[in-house]
Amino acid sequence: MVRVRSEAILREAEVESFGRGLLALAEEPGQRVVLSFLGVHHLTSLVLGKLIHAHKRLTESGGELRLADIDPHIFEVFSITHLDRLFRIFEREDEAIASFSKEAEA
Amino acid sequence: MPSRFPETDLGPGWTEKVLPTRLDCIREPEREVVARLRDLGYNEDLRFAVRLAIEEALVNAMKHGNRMDPSRQVVLAYRVSPERVEIRVRDEGPGFNPDVIPDPTCDENLHRPCGRGIMLMRSYMDEVSFACSGQEVQMVKYRKP
Repeated sequence: MVRVRSEAILREAEVESFGRGLLALAEEPGQRVVLSFLGVHHLTSLVLGKLIHAHKRLTESGGELRLADIDPHIFEVFSITHLDRLFRIFEREDEAIASFSKEAEA
Repeated sequence: MPSRFPETDLGPGWTEKVLPTRLDCIREPEREVVARLRDLGYNEDLRFAVRLAIEEALVNAMKHGNRMDPSRQVVLAYRVSPERVEIRVRDEGPGFNPDVIPDPTCDENLHRPCGRGIMLMRSYMDEVSFACSGQEVQMVKYRKP
């Protein structure tokens, strides 16, 4: 479970470290990651690129990245870019976590 | 001080900002424009749209235009009125042809980590065009009733 707080993800200088942090999660095989965007009200395509890269690496290592708590404006960005087809997006982080648990039980 | 946009003659009412090619220099002018929009009563949807478009344009200018070369600059020019906001961003790179940018929403491009900036600008602004062989992007957002 990873939470993105406030607008930290917006500062371009920090996007790189955000991306590296996500990729570090993929180093361990089978990591299931929920990324909560609660409190984030703006992002750019630089961040989308980091998410796509992390999603790819996590999938390759047998894990998965799921997203939650996405502001309506930001969801629109995912929708316009069709990335809502690439990522599994949940309304709340507990729903995203539960979705992993349910799949593990099945 | 002469305009950095000599070919397109900005005219009165424009504010110009010359920025170094550093991603951490984007935030301040972006906030300045958004503050102007807020002062004029532009709603949150419009402010989100303009902010995103400016940020995408500046990032593109620095990363793809100037290739992050610190010896090159980016110029942001804007003019805000109660009816519309006009944005221009110019880099010092070699230019590009916007018509050959692959569609990032195609299935084969969906996993590519870049190539969405221009699409987002076109989605959120009412008018987007390129001048000076792609070195300059010009955008307009209208404040509709």
